[in-house]
Amino acid sequence: MTEFAAAAMASGAQLRLRQLTKAFGASQAVDRISLDVPAGAFVSLLGPSGSGKTTTLNLIAGFLTPDAGDILLDERSIADVPPHKRNIGMVFQSYSLFPHMTVAENVGFPLRMRTRLSRQAARQRIDEMLALVQLGHLGTRYPRQLSGGQQQRVAMARALVSHPRLLLMDEPLGALDKKLREQMQVEIKRIHRSVGTTVIYVTHDQTEALTMSDLVVVMHQARVSQVGTPRVLYEAPANLFVADFLGDSNLLTATIAHVSGDELAVEIGNGEKIRAARGTSAAAQGSRTVVLIRPEDISLTATDERTAGQDVVAGTIKDISYHGDTFKLDVALGADMLKVKVPRERGAGMERGQKVFLTWNSSVVRLLPAADRTSDASGEDAR
Amino acid sequence: MTALAEPRAAPLLRPALSSRGRMLPALLLLPCLAWITFFFLAPLVLMCWRSLASEGFSLEPYGVLFTSPLFTKVMITTVRTAAITTVFALLLAYPLAYALTVSGGKVRALILVFTLIPYWVDIIVRSFSWLILLGDNGMVNKALMALGIVSAPLQMLYNPFSVLLAMVQILLPLTTVTLFGAMLRIDRTLITAAKIHGASEWHAFRTVFFPLSLPGVYGAGLLVFVLALGFYVTPALLGSPRETMIAQTIMVEASQLLDWPQASAAGAVLLIITTSIAAIYNRYFSLDRLWGGSDK
Repeated sequence: MTEFAAAAMASGAQLRLRQLTKAFGASQAVDRISLDVPAGAFVSLLGPSGSGKTTTLNLIAGFLTPDAGDILLDERSIADVPPHKRNIGMVFQSYSLFPHMTVAENVGFPLRMRTRLSRQAARQRIDEMLALVQLGHLGTRYPRQLSGGQQQRVAMARALVSHPRLLLMDEPLGALDKKLREQMQVEIKRIHRSVGTTVIYVTHDQTEALTMSDLVVVMHQARVSQVGTPRVLYEAPANLFVADFLGDSNLLTATIAHVSGDELAVEIGNGEKIRAARGTSAAAQGSRTVVLIRPEDISLTATDERTAGQDVVAGTIKDISYHGDTFKLDVALGADMLKVKVPRERGAGMERGQKVFLTWNSSVVRLLPAADRTSDASGEDAR
Repeated sequence: MTALAEPRAAPLLRPALSSRGRMLPALLLLPCLAWITFFFLAPLVLMCWRSLASEGFSLEPYGVLFTSPLFTKVMITTVRTAAITTVFALLLAYPLAYALTVSGGKVRALILVFTLIPYWVDIIVRSFSWLILLGDNGMVNKALMALGIVSAPLQMLYNPFSVLLAMVQILLPLTTVTLFGAMLRIDRTLITAAKIHGASEWHAFRTVFFPLSLPGVYGAGLLVFVLALGFYVTPALLGSPRETMIAQTIMVEASQLLDWPQASAAGAVLLIITTSIAAIYNRYFSLDRLWGGSDK
């Protein structure tokens, strides 16, 4: 198995999408998407349903023909290549194992179709694959005799057996329960590390995308909203949509009060001024903006414990809910409502109606463009 | 809390609930059950009884059946005609059902309408229409002569050809619809999965779609074969005495020879053959499949 893994290592293909476009009737499913996927990377397409992620995947697979644009696999256009000649592996949401074939026959299917391996060589490859997904003993079973998790593994083995340079996964864990899903996430990462194939992973589950991916592509309304590493997306979202879609967020409309050097101050709804790092935004005094503060970045005290470099605002607790490891609170600041997440020992004494003080480091405050511009910068050209 | 409360509440609630729960389905079944009993089961039992006990209990009618060369010949003709009809109906219906399955929207609706219109036309009308088409002065012969392909009308009626042609035509809509139903239940993403893993359109059909459609083919085949066994009007109108099938023999025995025990025995044999075929099918594929139930 290690020999096989070494042979397959670094065999991932580089994938480029160039202004890829697809419409179904009047509705634009994928709108001029461009994307560079480095060889061997694990890339998630993340977005709500209808954002175009599955259409993008189907275009890469060749099940759909693009209206415009190009798909390059290792710099070679595959837009006109039929799906069965693309040498791509794919794991489907419903697994789509062939019910009339045994596990071994399912896994061997791509070998029968794509290669001229001898029966013995194929047998050996199937065994290696089943060992890789830890199902070595189940080759003679039929898919219906397996659990959901096991079927998922068979689907992985089938997708990888012919050493494809690109693996597509369409919400592969959607049908599994939470525990099993987390197990399989670890498993998929392990398999990805050992085979080195480039993976395009479609999901609407942000935790899945953040924990598994090298790069996450956030999609919204048929466009790419932002591409980045999980940390960049979470900590430095480029727009309101990404900030709102990933994790919990407090988004407050504000006006820039004054700018000085690297720091600036904004005035929020209740008239208080809070400081923020200037960041990359070209903020002019008096312009509208949106302030992002993550609930876990806020600390909450019953008394005013102001320290240097921190803003303190006063508010009233409107709601408390217990989540085991944390308490989640809704705190009213004038007309605005702030979500706050505090450790359980912090939240234990709090009650509804109580007056509290909220503080945070100015470095956690991010300014976002005020208009709901959810598409990327390329949205301005061409149209 | 609920775990504690449950055992105490259950004995109080359950009898009341379950007696009503059991009564309602029974009541709903009653009219249908009565109908079937009086108009279907009772005549069948009566038929079997007559075949055995005409003048005291005897198996004689069955003895006659299995020793008479005429009956053996009719039985062979019947089974052969039904089998050939089934094979041709399946061969013609499969591509049609496949086209229905892969097409969508308007095309599918159009094919369905043209498949089903003949199905709604009475079987006697359809059998007669073949008389008009295939007769010596029929449209086919006239067309052939007008084109100079033949000089004298072809004898196309009153032979195995005309009987088979009409039976296949009559059973084709049912075969198509049954196959279509079975094919619709095949998960189409399996074909997609086959294609992305290297199968061309043809290979995907041959290795995935076709094997998965086979239980449906057997089911449709069973239905058509059993129906074909009991055909009466079509062979009577379009066949010669050599194409006589079992239903015609039973009719002659009962209405012309007035030999009711003999007719009953022949009917019982036909009944046994059809139910055993259905039982064998059910053993391997489950009859539920035919009406859209789950697969075995």
